[in-house]
Amino acid sequence: MIMATVFMKWLEKNPADYDRGIRLLTLGRIRQIQQWIVDTYVRKGIRILEIGCGTGTLAVMMAEKGAVITAIDASPSMLGVAERKIAANNLGTLITLKRMDAAQIGDVYEQESFDLIVSSLVFSELPEDEKKYVLSLCRKLLAPGGKLVIADERIPGGFSPRLLYYLFRFPLALLTWLLTRTTTTPLRGFNSALEGAGFQVHPAASYLGNSLVVYESQAALESAQPTTPEGTAALPAGVVGRLRHRVTLRTLLLDLWLLFFRIMPPYPKVRPGLYAVGEPDRSSPVLVTGNFDLTVRRLVKAIDGAVNAWLLVADSAGINVWCAAGGGYFTAEKVIAAVKSSHLERVVNHHALILPQLCANGVDGWRIRRETGWGVHWGPAKARDIPAYLQARRQKTDAMRWVRFPLADRLEMVTVTLGFYSLLILLPVLIFWRGLFWPITFSLLGLSYFYAVVHPWLPGRDGLYKSIPLAFIALAGLLLYTVLWNQLPGLSLFHWAVGLTGLSVFTAAELQGMSPLMRGEQANWSYEAVIGLALAAVYWLIPHITGWVS
Amino acid sequence: MTGTPPTLWSSLREHLDLARELRYLEIRFDAEKCKGTWQCYEVCPVGCWTPSKPLRVVEFHNPELCIACGACVLQCPESAIELS
Repeated sequence: MIMATVFMKWLEKNPADYDRGIRLLTLGRIRQIQQWIVDTYVRKGIRILEIGCGTGTLAVMMAEKGAVITAIDASPSMLGVAERKIAANNLGTLITLKRMDAAQIGDVYEQESFDLIVSSLVFSELPEDEKKYVLSLCRKLLAPGGKLVIADERIPGGFSPRLLYYLFRFPLALLTWLLTRTTTTPLRGFNSALEGAGFQVHPAASYLGNSLVVYESQAALESAQPTTPEGTAALPAGVVGRLRHRVTLRTLLLDLWLLFFRIMPPYPKVRPGLYAVGEPDRSSPVLVTGNFDLTVRRLVKAIDGAVNAWLLVADSAGINVWCAAGGGYFTAEKVIAAVKSSHLERVVNHHALILPQLCANGVDGWRIRRETGWGVHWGPAKARDIPAYLQARRQKTDAMRWVRFPLADRLEMVTVTLGFYSLLILLPVLIFWRGLFWPITFSLLGLSYFYAVVHPWLPGRDGLYKSIPLAFIALAGLLLYTVLWNQLPGLSLFHWAVGLTGLSVFTAAELQGMSPLMRGEQANWSYEAVIGLALAAVYWLIPHITGWVS
Repeated sequence: MTGTPPTLWSSLREHLDLARELRYLEIRFDAEKCKGTWQCYEVCPVGCWTPSKPLRVVEFHNPELCIACGACVLQCPESAIELS
């Protein structure tokens, strides 16, 4: 639940980053694909729906040929850029922009109202159920003879193309993510999804060794029977499966990995959709959450055996709900899409959703109420309070509402932070300054965990202020050590003192970002850099100046 | 995109500015607009809002606890709360 604010802010990508990311990931092919779509399918006057217009590049290209375009996207910042782009090209009369999630198109547009529906690199981002749901909506919205054209990433078939793809894609994806925080997930089995929605498909063009494909689909004469997921015979249609609390080797290994490297993607995800926990019936409560694996497992652990409930897992990009909501990944649109694509109304006989309280910073409850007619109730902040909350008929005590930062959470988050910084700092130290590796490692570990323990008792709220008493405690420890145990020679005593001061500042200032409960630690970066450089100068220069070393 | 493309330096600057801003954001509450849905009280993770039962409104307390998460701003149906 608790995650570094530095991480939360870093996730907030801006539209320019997104455009650069997509260009990088597709090695520039995205422009060629867009041009090909415009040349092949777009004619003057046809009605086009673009699902996921992003920054509006394709919409502008299509409007320049005279088509009438409705372009939707779920991201307000992307739409902002698109709007400026359209205004700059004077195409405002031909392009209508709407902020909406793909799953909502069925509610807004009339049947058979488009001649062409296009979408590039959007379907691969949708959860499985939503993909099928949106495809079925597309079929309804297309006029007779209309076409659905989808350009997307896929994993190529065949052993050597696939090997080549993975070898090539992994470093490219990592680089792209580091530079722009943009990632994509290639499609799997998309042909059968299209056919399942009643389309006839053929791949119309492919790029980059078959990893970027344009699918052209037309309504099939007879629509295929909707298929039911396997192994869910005892559950109502539309339910993905049953979740139980289990500890296996896989979950243990995953927990260990997440303890150190939680903030590094790829985040382990749960397939979004509706799940049963226990033996829920039509009147059982519906709990909504994000699709970060750890979130779902902790939630199931907290309620399995205690309550019978439906768990609606919405797509939060595999990020915990608080950070995902703060970073714009977990939104009202995602919850609405999950409600619609799971056909929740057929499974339960009430209209109440229970949302995690901590997603209220990004999920607009009124939007969900307005657009779905479902009631929104803010559940407790912590999953472990859910049984008591339900027992009390959805009444929260203040203790369930408030987030505190107890010792166990502090130790956990220090470990998470250290996992990340060990790669950032300790790895270079190990490579370039071998002799300093163990002193720095032990000091950093000692200071960090000590800081986690004493954190509430250090004065001030800001990590930089807290670093002052921390540094004094560290120096007092050093003094005691040299007086009582082992008299250190002057130069190494000096080095230790400067080093410990530097690490104290770094530890306290950086661990400020352990939880959103502590605000804005990044503002400390510039001070940290200045203090760090000053201390480094002292560390190397003073001994030279005073002739300590020759 | 109009304007110059972001560089590593400008992105870093943007992050720092945002972080500074985040630190100094404060709640502005227009009590006149409050209709007492108590959504802010429901969602505040640190306990800044207290419902006042007889008047069906809320009161803003403990500004020093506020972490500027923005939950109350988003959930207030009357747009009575601002972060600035």
